[in-house]
Amino acid sequence: MSRVRLLERDEAPLSARHLYGDDGSASLLRRSLVNAPDILETLMPFLAQVSAAGSVDLATKELVVVRVSHLNRCAYCLSAHRPLALDVGVPPDQVAAVCDDTSVDELPERERVLVEWIDRFVLDPGSIDDELTARVLDHVRDDQLIEIALVAGTTQMLNHYCTAFAIPPEGR
Amino acid sequence: MTRTALARALEEGRCGERVWLYATYHCNLACVYCLTESHPGIARRRAVPGNQLVGLAQEARELGFGSLGVTGGEVFMLPDMPETLVELGSILPTVALTNGTLFTDRMLGRLEPLAHLDVALQVSLDSPDAVRNDALRGPENFAKVADAIPALVERGIKVRIATTVDDQSEEELARLCDLHRSWGISDDDHVVRGIVRRGRAATEGMGVEPGPTDILPELTITADGAFLHPFAPTVRNGVTDLDLLVSRQVSPLEAAARRFLGVVAGQPVGTDASATFT
Repeated sequence: MSRVRLLERDEAPLSARHLYGDDGSASLLRRSLVNAPDILETLMPFLAQVSAAGSVDLATKELVVVRVSHLNRCAYCLSAHRPLALDVGVPPDQVAAVCDDTSVDELPERERVLVEWIDRFVLDPGSIDDELTARVLDHVRDDQLIEIALVAGTTQMLNHYCTAFAIPPEGR
Repeated sequence: MTRTALARALEEGRCGERVWLYATYHCNLACVYCLTESHPGIARRRAVPGNQLVGLAQEARELGFGSLGVTGGEVFMLPDMPETLVELGSILPTVALTNGTLFTDRMLGRLEPLAHLDVALQVSLDSPDAVRNDALRGPENFAKVADAIPALVERGIKVRIATTVDDQSEEELARLCDLHRSWGISDDDHVVRGIVRRGRAATEGMGVEPGPTDILPELTITADGAFLHPFAPTVRNGVTDLDLLVSRQVSPLEAAARRFLGVVAGQPVGTDASATFT
């Protein structure tokens, strides 16, 4: 059971009701966030920008989100983003591989290096050295790596949020 | 910017000029229609400290609000409320809502400076019949109020009467008017209002559910955040209703006022709802 209220549309502050569908639907994460509508002024545009296709394609972003959520064992985010990753074109075997530490080596070179960088970013950012950075930059530009870092960091924040507040997995 | 927007909203009648301050959710009574489910046994005694109330009042005046309302819970449950009201009343015209049951001689003495300020105490009284009144508001309520009001008037403190109408007859209300006139309180200072079906009144099935335009928006500050009007920060089954919350941030007041005006204007927050993260 969630440790914060998951507000239905008619319980939510007036200023935040547009975050629900016409049928009153919203993700459980949104239904928790609307308890604090002020922060949504900046949070929602920020999350929209970070999660949208920018200099990094959506498939790469979702692969990062799923990997970070796997590392943090966030049941909510995995329930929401594994299907999303498939929807945006991440091959099923890659989604499975980033959720299974023993299968990471089966990923293509680009994804394998990215996962190595992500793992250290989440678990031990101080261990990221020039050599690893150079290997990642063989596959992505520096601005893309910055965007990937922000996707990973944002995912980390939401993983901790969802886990701490026990947001239940989406029943998708 | 907020000051300009507020001035325009006030001019166009889209909101009221009063800022309401919910000093506390705590109360020594447990009225059957209470919006905030206040009662003596409440576990979390959420309150806004007196110095914060004064700071909010100063900000309200700077932003262009015209008056203050102080309510609760029972505002005189807060030990420093008499002195706080003196400070509030020196900043803006103030009305403080009270159940009128805590006015000891010592308390009355501390309230005497209010006689020289634009401060009114609005005392709740629902019937001229003690039994009828006390059924709604609690044992011995009528006797305490009937003692307190003349004592306040005698000290030159402005008193208003507020009557919450449930099933009182016209004859009963007429006798109530006779009573407040006998205390020197004019009909202009007698507020009669219906029960709003929120909080405990909703649980009890009392009153009328207000429509979206039935109540004039008036910025209302509580320990839980800022709300759209004073009937908004209700509590039901121990949980504060958030449907009419406009901001969790109340300080600086400008931030709450800006969001309040945004809601009054129908502006949503965080309009880009496309984030796949959420």
